[in-house]
Amino acid sequence: MSSKIARYYPLIPVYAAYLILFLIGRNVTGMWQLMAMLVFYCAIGQAFNIFLGMTGYVDFGYVAFMGIGTYGMALSISHLYQIEGLGMWVILIGAVLAILMSGALSVAVGAVALRLRGAYFAIATIGVNEGFRFLIEGAKIWGGSEGIIFSGQFTHIFGRKTASLISTTWADIFVILVACLGAFVTLRFMLGKIGYALMALREDEDAAKVMGINVTKYKIIAFITSASLVGLVAAFAWGLKLTYLFPDEIFDISYTVECIIIVLLGGAGTLLGPVAGALIYGLSKYWLTIILPGFQLLIFAPIIIVIVVAFPEGVVGVLKRRVRGTVLEKFIV
Amino acid sequence: MAPLLRLENVTKRFGGLVAVDRVSLEIDPGEFIGIVGPNGSGKTTLFNVINGVYFPEEGTIVFDGRDITRLQPYKRAPLGIGRTFQIPRPFASATVRENIAVGAMFGTLSGRVGVDESLEIADQTIERVGLQEHKDKAAGSLTPVEKKLMEIARALAMKPKLLLMDEAMAGMHPNDIDQMVAFIKEIAQEEKIAVVSMVEHIMRAVVGMAERVIVLHQGAKIVDAPTKEALENPKVVEIYLGHPPEGQGC
Ligand SMILES: Nc1ncnc2c1ncn2[C@@H]1O[C@H](COP(=O)(O)OP(=O)(O)O)[C@@H](O)[C@H]1O
Ligand SMILES: [Mg+2]
Repeated sequence: MSSKIARYYPLIPVYAAYLILFLIGRNVTGMWQLMAMLVFYCAIGQAFNIFLGMTGYVDFGYVAFMGIGTYGMALSISHLYQIEGLGMWVILIGAVLAILMSGALSVAVGAVALRLRGAYFAIATIGVNEGFRFLIEGAKIWGGSEGIIFSGQFTHIFGRKTASLISTTWADIFVILVACLGAFVTLRFMLGKIGYALMALREDEDAAKVMGINVTKYKIIAFITSASLVGLVAAFAWGLKLTYLFPDEIFDISYTVECIIIVLLGGAGTLLGPVAGALIYGLSKYWLTIILPGFQLLIFAPIIIVIVVAFPEGVVGVLKRRVRGTVLEKFIV
Repeated sequence: MAPLLRLENVTKRFGGLVAVDRVSLEIDPGEFIGIVGPNGSGKTTLFNVINGVYFPEEGTIVFDGRDITRLQPYKRAPLGIGRTFQIPRPFASATVRENIAVGAMFGTLSGRVGVDESLEIADQTIERVGLQEHKDKAAGSLTPVEKKLMEIARALAMKPKLLLMDEAMAGMHPNDIDQMVAFIKEIAQEEKIAVVSMVEHIMRAVVGMAERVIVLHQGAKIVDAPTKEALENPKVVEIYLGHPPEGQGC
């Protein structure tokens, strides 16, 4: 029994990090936005890790799931605001819609692209986010290129005060909760049969098949899980927080790149990795923006390449090896 | 007794090259068979066709009464086909124990054992093949011979009915080979596993243990006979001219 609980110890450092970020944000004036950004990076890192980290497949169109998730929240609020007494339910509906829509898109993308191996999959996904944006803009669905501005409807539902509280505080707290959920799902995967299947297919897909693993099935499960989680993150972090969306912003490939950096920096396929990656990336980006505004990417890119090449296992990968055989071993996976 | 595996006129081509040429063979449950053939004679390809890495252009494969000619490879392992690879293919970053647990989890016990039971089976198998001291090492960090041993353990943990070993003893010290073969034979008898061991050279230990020897030459089966008879076959002697069969008079 106690060993069953001990399996969940690795969640402790992850949740502790989230709690510390939350407490700093609440108690140190002016820190909430920075902490919210860090938690956002943790959450998207955690979500992408379930696919990139656990399967070893790179999806360059990943931000499409964030974009579509944002639409889920926007559509819920902008369409349902007139229904009396819906209140908080509109947010829940938006969240469910975000999960379903990003999940559905991942099924569509996965059904085609996941037939391809490794690099071919990566190439096939490159245009997915742009393609989806062109579709929305070209077909003029969901507001086309104008996007959806739903702050008015949002205020209509909740009243000015509550609406502002939700956008400035609760949206970020929801992101923390999704980040918690992401870590929990990751650990459940790691502990279960699916974790072994994903490890095997990441290491050697052909050998995995011969060993009896239905690799397509497990890849698709990881893909859908990852996509719906990141869709949910964006529904809160972008939709609920900003109460507007513009397609050219929410389908921007730079978020995919950030996800990849966070996962690789922290340690692909590890539980604590996305948190470590998010903190290192988020803090250095913030710091570089202050000391060298405009040049952060120029400096950042080579540093990241060097780190990723020097430590292919990521920070947590190295750490894991260091703590092997010590008491910390139970906590860092 | 119905054969466990039956190949009927199986042909596999790579472009113009016929890698496996109209091979027919039967393997009974619990049999210990040696397949010998020089480099390039189609041994590995034959294994790949049996476990579904490639589908043959012609012929049928029946396993345990079921036509598996075009069955996806991942559906064959649960039926009871386990294998090791000529060039070891460990799941490198995972531990030896985890590698072997994968075998238990997705082999014939698939759907019936969870992670915990699979790890228990892995521990038992590790004990059995003597990999205890390596069990928590990353499989990628093992020596080539240890990797081969790990692959045997991983395949045994699948609780297969048929174990295909591709040059499993290559690179091992002759004494270790004797031990290894005796050990595999013992397990195979205990668990009623049919073993097909492929070797390039007629290794005394492997062939000596086999009840029957099949000889492949340029993709075709040229001899299929009880061991002693097969080794005395003039065609075999001819193929191995320059490689006189070990242990025959020397
Ligand atoms: N994937 C492949 N593509 C093309 N030719 C192949 C492939 N695999 C094997 N061959 C060819 O098929 C023949 C048999 O090879 P193989 O089965 O590996 O023989 P063996 O295992 O007996 O050494 C060789 O001529 C080899 O070059
Ligand atoms: Mg071979």
